[in-house]
Amino acid sequence: MLLVPRQLRRTGMTGNVPYYGGRFTPAQAYAAAHPRAERPPQPAPADASVVAAGGGSRPSRAEQLEALTHLLGSGVLTEAEYQELRTRVAP
Amino acid sequence: MGPVQVLVIGLDQPEFTGEVLAELSRLRSAGIVRLVDVLVVARRDDGAFETLAEPTAMTPSRGQLAAAVLGSGEDESASMAEDGLDRPRLPTWSLADSVPAGTTAAVALIEHTWAAPLRDAINRVGGVPLEETWLAPDDVVLLEQMMPHDAP
Repeated sequence: MLLVPRQLRRTGMTGNVPYYGGRFTPAQAYAAAHPRAERPPQPAPADASVVAAGGGSRPSRAEQLEALTHLLGSGVLTEAEYQELRTRVAP
Repeated sequence: MGPVQVLVIGLDQPEFTGEVLAELSRLRSAGIVRLVDVLVVARRDDGAFETLAEPTAMTPSRGQLAAAVLGSGEDESASMAEDGLDRPRLPTWSLADSVPAGTTAAVALIEHTWAAPLRDAINRVGGVPLEETWLAPDDVVLLEQMMPHDAP
């Protein structure tokens, strides 16, 4: 009798191992697709130089796109994930 | 039911020896494992799989259970690609990944009955398995050498 092999999910003896060789787990993918609500604005620091020294500024659009491109190139993100996240990068 | 292992063994002759069956029988008597089913397959040179009759009936289902779990009558590659967000991410395998063309293999489904209470205990305390693998034979030798001789 001919047999067409099925694709079966890999799992461990004690359960699903959630780390898939550097790729997002389903939980991580869900979190990436459902970002939490924006945090309320923080009060401005008394000393503006603290912000500059602390490096807490938001990365630029170019930096975010570069990071996404790196994740795509290294196989962490699929093309579809890359395109979806790319649309979220603020202009 | 305990975790079920899929063991794929390449064979020159499509049969388990009496020695292997005797050991599986002993392990079952000890409540350690249970041989659920055995399926013998031949992969043709063109890549297609054929099920073969077992030389001896090793399990009551005679490979039918294993064939139902490991195979299907259609190519699933298209449906897998459209199956929601999570499923395509999960690492998968099939007999086609394991059995080279032009060879024969015995595929055993082995229930690890000893592991069910351990798995349940891990789940009860919220434990998350992060890795499961086997030590390489060389590392097992190293481990043996480091273990005290009176260790059980």
